[in-house]
Amino acid sequence: MEFAIITKDLTKKFGSLTAVDRINIKIRKGEIFGLLGPNGAGKTTTIHMLATILKPSYGTAIVAGHDILKEPNKVREKIGIVFQDMTIDRHLTGYENMWIHGRLYGLRGHELHERIKELLEFVGLWEWKDIEVRKYSGGMIRRLEIARSLLHHPEILFLDEPTLGLDPQTRVHVWDYIMQIRKEKNMTILLTTHYMDEAEKLCDHVAIIDHGKIIAEGTPNELKTIVGNDVICIKVRCSPDKIQIFVEKLEATLDSTFVRFAMGRITLGVKNAPQVIPVIFEIARRMNIRILRLEYSRPTLDDVFLKLTGRRIREEFGSWVDFIRREKMNRFMRR
Amino acid sequence: MKWIGAFIAMWYRQVKQFLRAKPRLIGTFLHPIFWLLFFGIGFAGAFREGMSQAIFMGLSYLEFFLPGIAMMGVFTGAFMSGISVIWDKEFGYLKVVLVSPASRKASILGRIIGDSTIVVFQSVVLLLLGYLLVPSMNLINIPLYICIAFLVSISFAGIGVTIATKMQTIEGFQLIVNIITLPLMFLSGIFYPIHVAPDWIQPIILANPLTYGVDAARFVLVGKSYFNILLDIALLGVLSMILIFLTMYQFEKATIG
Repeated sequence: MEFAIITKDLTKKFGSLTAVDRINIKIRKGEIFGLLGPNGAGKTTTIHMLATILKPSYGTAIVAGHDILKEPNKVREKIGIVFQDMTIDRHLTGYENMWIHGRLYGLRGHELHERIKELLEFVGLWEWKDIEVRKYSGGMIRRLEIARSLLHHPEILFLDEPTLGLDPQTRVHVWDYIMQIRKEKNMTILLTTHYMDEAEKLCDHVAIIDHGKIIAEGTPNELKTIVGNDVICIKVRCSPDKIQIFVEKLEATLDSTFVRFAMGRITLGVKNAPQVIPVIFEIARRMNIRILRLEYSRPTLDDVFLKLTGRRIREEFGSWVDFIRREKMNRFMRR
Repeated sequence: MKWIGAFIAMWYRQVKQFLRAKPRLIGTFLHPIFWLLFFGIGFAGAFREGMSQAIFMGLSYLEFFLPGIAMMGVFTGAFMSGISVIWDKEFGYLKVVLVSPASRKASILGRIIGDSTIVVFQSVVLLLLGYLLVPSMNLINIPLYICIAFLVSISFAGIGVTIATKMQTIEGFQLIVNIITLPLMFLSGIFYPIHVAPDWIQPIILANPLTYGVDAARFVLVGKSYFNILLDIALLGVLSMILIFLTMYQFEKATIG
């Protein structure tokens, strides 16, 4: 099996903080690999190191067959990247942005023009090519950035939170483009995200990262099996210490993969939900706890994260990340 | 010859961006015009007929002042160009340049020459407007002036970009620019002949590269100077080379963290 990316104890420290802690991952050629984790988990730092713009404190990686420390320029030629924050010149047109980028990568003349046309048509922006980017919507800018990253026929594409801050409909569009790129251009794609639905839908393999460490890795289905077939979510009304006892009781009585109390809800992973639900009600009745709501569903990667860390990826961080994102956009617009 | 692509890309980007950013375009252009009209003309009125010739090397005050104010535009414009490096840092474009295999030396050089192209062009337009006030100016020497202005611009853009690469915020950069530009501007012979300044100021004037730029510009445009024009040009040439190499060397090592 050939690998597009192999990391060896990749580590980054900022002062006393270890942002990325001895990461070892192997990414197969032609697959979409997702780094899933909450904000601040070290995803972007990892991508920056792999893209050679940040020096690792320790360890290294082989990207597209070249060591990021020994041959950074060889690596740079073979990778394309869409950064998390917008890196487009807002006062230039879409075409000008593409043209400048192409010249940076040594393309020119007719060849460059044809390539720009092909890619802008691919992302549906050819009619917009002579409009200044500041008039584009957020989704259009993302698409332009994706097109730009593909100009020089990279072997590996890095996408850092490709749909952060986009509305649901635009997100689906961006997903379509990502899948199309993989299919048509046979590229390896490494993407980071804190949206578990994104990781589940797009990725062949997912590594879950938390506090700079990889805590689980596998296909989305493999990962989900560690929490069982069903996940039950219960909302109860009673005092906190009573909830604690209730959780312990459930853990002791039921054959569950995990029981966690987070975000005001008790979540547990089980083999067969319909079988255990009556037992849960029985325990609650005996303890005189009122169950306000109970639902069960197929597990998500967020449940996997919950089992492994006791926290949820999304609710805890999502809201303020989006807030900061919006603030940053506003500042950007005012320029 | 791959570096040419990066050079052209960044040159084009600077020039295009500048032409699009109308407020900046107008602002940097009006500033020296205001100085010329409202300071230059007003101040020239303070001297009686013949009096200014005695003080200003045989020139009328406007003849003396016009080459200086054109140089001032070049100098401040070039220095401020570092601000775009900080913009790029803040808005991530620097990462785009750093992650590309393009020669970093060529890209930063393209950027500096791009900024210089703009400020030199602006100062030439200013001179042409100034010609209406100073008909004795040697228009024929404008090409020579352009060469001198380029040397000055490259030197100070180099300093500006080098400082900006180290700075994190626009506010910090502006503070430094203000602290540095005002003294350099006043101690360069733009506003008054350098020999009238007191002795303790003289060394600063002589150490200020801008002094030689102003002196050379005055020589080619109105025919008067303190120093030999060749000395002026040699000093500026050496300085701009050193600064450009330092800037390129420094940018080569830039990372985002």
